[in-house]
Amino acid sequence: MIEIFENFKTNVMSLGGDVTEIDFEQRGYHLDVVLTVNTVRKFAQTAYDHGFYLVFVTGFHVLPETGEGGKTSGREVVYQFARYDRLCRVKARVSVPGDLAVPSICHIYQGANWHERETRDFYGILFSDHPNLEPLLLAEEDKDFHPLLKEEKKLKSFEEVSWPAQRPDMADIQTEPSSDG
Amino acid sequence: MYSKIMRESQLQEHNRFFLNMGPQHPSTHGVLLVVLEMDGEYVLDPQPVLGFIHRMHEKMGESRPCQGFMPNTARMDYVCALPYNHGYVSLIEKKAGIKVPKRAEYIRVITSELNRVASHLLWLGAYLLDLGAFTPILYGFDDREHILDILEDVTGSRLTYCYYRFGGVYQDIDDKFVEATRAFIKRLRKRYDIYEKLVTKNIIFIKRAENIGIISPDMAIRYGITGPNLRGSGIAYDIRKNEPYSVYPEFDFEVPVGERGDCLDRYMVRVSEMEQSLRIIEQALDTLPDGPVRSKVPKKIKLAPGDCNFAVEAARGELSYYLVGDGTSVPYRLKIRVPSYSNLSCLPELGQGILLPDLVSIMGSLDLVIPEIDR
Repeated sequence: MIEIFENFKTNVMSLGGDVTEIDFEQRGYHLDVVLTVNTVRKFAQTAYDHGFYLVFVTGFHVLPETGEGGKTSGREVVYQFARYDRLCRVKARVSVPGDLAVPSICHIYQGANWHERETRDFYGILFSDHPNLEPLLLAEEDKDFHPLLKEEKKLKSFEEVSWPAQRPDMADIQTEPSSDG
Repeated sequence: MYSKIMRESQLQEHNRFFLNMGPQHPSTHGVLLVVLEMDGEYVLDPQPVLGFIHRMHEKMGESRPCQGFMPNTARMDYVCALPYNHGYVSLIEKKAGIKVPKRAEYIRVITSELNRVASHLLWLGAYLLDLGAFTPILYGFDDREHILDILEDVTGSRLTYCYYRFGGVYQDIDDKFVEATRAFIKRLRKRYDIYEKLVTKNIIFIKRAENIGIISPDMAIRYGITGPNLRGSGIAYDIRKNEPYSVYPEFDFEVPVGERGDCLDRYMVRVSEMEQSLRIIEQALDTLPDGPVRSKVPKKIKLAPGDCNFAVEAARGELSYYLVGDGTSVPYRLKIRVPSYSNLSCLPELGQGILLPDLVSIMGSLDLVIPEIDR
């Protein structure tokens, strides 16, 4: 088990993915992989070669950051993979560039076809080389309406919605005393 | 999808045509449209069109405190709603560090498994109805009715349950519930014979299901197929075993699997699963601990910043809730991964070049619940 896990980790790191091991008891998955648009497909191929099945593809919206390359889109594509034969859940995410284009993985995982169409519906992320990027759940006339994008005043920065580096800090937030059951 | 219809004139040259199956077709089990490109009686390309009952549950989940989303969870898969309750309460409990009394977890398992049996019974009847046999659904409904009555007594509703609460369940079960459940288990075991004679050994049914719609393990990986549809292909993947949650590790049960991965195997897996669920319920009733069924929970549950994933085994496969908190009681992001969505997505590949009646058989065997797919 550990061998396969380490093998997968090394392969992902060798193609340029940033891999962090996660406490499963706390967060419900084992690996957090940060990808770039150039490594998404290679990662999907590696996951497929290691026998991972596709759990879901979805989007995420946070406050755009102004970095070296100008303002980012603030959107992320989040993938989750798992295995049938042993307990191993992997979350992979890729920051969506300003032109909103991310390579589609549905040539490797055909099941991603609908997930990507749904993500386009909800977040407006465009998956390049997708065979049929038409609205899936929303109506044709709502093509430019993306319901899960947050309003400006509700947007939070990525740090505000991430686990803090040191865990004990969170103890006071979690156990607030109650007066009523 | 509609752009395809524009090619109508081209199609006529090749003697092909489009057939709309649904959105009101009885064997789509809900409001699902499948646009079929046909060559005579053969299906060339079946393309499901989704979204007719899309309600944007994810947005609702992100716009109200997490308690307010509880009733929504039952309105996705209304046939087997309690595992949807279960996944959501477990997710919030994990995120907010809420402890659950053991008795409550036992009650959750008992009621969830009862709901799973009810779902499989309904599927059995409806599948046979798709195949042209009318009688089995009457038997299925008869048995299922007993479960609905039992669950109605404790939960207050017959389909869209909202019985679980963060930190426990809404109310304790009584002796009447235990008695009725035991009586039902006895009854259903006696009925296996009837189902076997009526359905399992029926030559017409076997001819309609055997070697039809074979899902290979590789195909399952590519589409993310889970649940009985996957187990029919011989892969023993069950979240209750592989990623144990609640008190499932305390019970002894098997994960039935098929061999070929055809419609008949999927049928056999579901029928065997009913017995396994009954075994779980029996063990849980025998060892039901005493104590409270609800722990004290803050009125306003704060979801700490950061993400969390929780998966449960619903009647149709893996149900995952993925939540990102931001320190308030309203989830910042809530993704709901439903099993039927991935299970149906393989239909264009599974239904290529087969006869139209076989497509009906395949769709029935996939056990689709459309409100769950559309969310």
